[in-house]
Amino acid sequence: MLLAGLASALLLRFSPGTLVDERELDPRMSQASLAALRAKRAAENSLSAGFVQYLKAAVRGDLGQSTSRNAPIADLLTQNAPATLRRLGIGLVGAWFAGLGMAILVARFRQAWVVESVASMAAGTLLSLPAAVLAYFCLTAGVAVEIVLILVLVPRVYRFSRNLLVQAYGSSYIDMARARGISETRILFAHVFRSAAPQMVALIAASLSMAVGAIIPIEAICDAAGLGRLAWQAAMSRDLPLLVNLTMLIALATTAAMAIAELAPLRPGESSS
Amino acid sequence: MKPARLVAIVFLALVGISALVPRLWTPDSYETQLREAPDAPPSARFPLGTDALGRDRMARLLYGTRVSLALAPAAALLSCVVAALVGGLAGWAGGWTERTVLASVDLFMSLPWLFLLLTVRAVLPLNVSPLTSLSITFALLGLLSWPASARVVRAAIHSLRDSDFMLQARASGVTPWRLISRQLIPNVMPVLLAQFWIAVPVFILAEATLGMLGLGVSEPLPSWGSMLRELEGGDLWSQPWIAAPAVLLAAVVGCFQLILPREDYSI
Repeated sequence: MLLAGLASALLLRFSPGTLVDERELDPRMSQASLAALRAKRAAENSLSAGFVQYLKAAVRGDLGQSTSRNAPIADLLTQNAPATLRRLGIGLVGAWFAGLGMAILVARFRQAWVVESVASMAAGTLLSLPAAVLAYFCLTAGVAVEIVLILVLVPRVYRFSRNLLVQAYGSSYIDMARARGISETRILFAHVFRSAAPQMVALIAASLSMAVGAIIPIEAICDAAGLGRLAWQAAMSRDLPLLVNLTMLIALATTAAMAIAELAPLRPGESSS
Repeated sequence: MKPARLVAIVFLALVGISALVPRLWTPDSYETQLREAPDAPPSARFPLGTDALGRDRMARLLYGTRVSLALAPAAALLSCVVAALVGGLAGWAGGWTERTVLASVDLFMSLPWLFLLLTVRAVLPLNVSPLTSLSITFALLGLLSWPASARVVRAAIHSLRDSDFMLQARASGVTPWRLISRQLIPNVMPVLLAQFWIAVPVFILAEATLGMLGLGVSEPLPSWGSMLRELEGGDLWSQPWIAAPAVLLAAVVGCFQLILPREDYSI
């Protein structure tokens, strides 16, 4: 996460126009004021000192000032995060419910080729459209933002989980369980899910990363307040301090999700190596 | 070959030819502004109508197809070259080099790709000439998307390095350079080729998303992304033909899905 922040700070420092301040064009500025302004800006843009100062301030909860909105970045993040988190939560739960449901149906009833064909075609169509275009179509049809996120995530969850479940259902011990008269529900929960669990947990972490990536165009196109729209507006107005903070926040969230995914499959008696 | 795959190849070939020779379909250039016919509905002269500036949408769509279809493979090639160099170095050298490369790959992959693209694109100037914006967009796509491919290449080279035939070649006194050029590269080429073809539709979608967000190829040069922006200002119910770029994009990416091994187009 720190490396992600440092990389963002590096980009910020060497981006065109970093050392230029439009206030310098103000004819009312005296030479002394201009010199003070330049000295302040040079100190802010010193890579090592600036980044260390930023980290020290971040520990105290001061993430700096947004240049485009002229407001504390911490306030902007706390104002916009709840809406995005709620959307991500609904989107992920909805996508997993629909995607996994379809995958179970297809994997369990392999003969139901109509269901599989329809599901594959729908997944293929949704995967062929960028999230931004889906968001526009849904906006035109008056569909909620959360549904757009579900539509973006469902085909990905469906395809991965379908492959995992088909593989698990194809194991010989499942045939053995059926031969012993174990119910299909018990086979699904006690054997199929158990066997596919490690990859499923990894997929949950991956779907979080996908959801965070998709939320930017969705919130931007639907004009829905949240971190995604904030990131887009920061990009359009070149509000780099805000972008650096968002980068670190998202790096933190995705790294944490991936770390949990790596730890989760470990059961007693298993090692990570 | 499956009929669906054959249809997809024929469709992609038709789209490719139309993009290469747009004059087959329309006499206009993508930037010609016909002031007497702004916002014209579809007609024999303008099959997809004209935009607010009187530019033929069909011409813009065909020239935009050329931009998107030519530059997505260029970006994929750049991405594969970087992935081959970085992944190849990690897999071949092993030790701390491998660990450092894997750490940097993890760093890249910890951020959602679109977010990374948005951040880096925002750092670069936004008000540049169309050709510069075109180069920046596709260079960024190529330079930021190598980590996943680098991981695959590293794994392939790692297993090749420890294979029996490489051991035998080393024992026979074959020089490292000859080992790399005669044994390693030819064996890793199919992996790279697969990564290349998987990346092409991903980059087409990424350009479209960046274009819709106003961070892609700038006007007057058309691309699918910049043409999709028109959706935002238009009314889809009264002017359904403005969705033509979205339909063509979905059809092309769908055809790639039919031709290529199933893959997730995460954007």
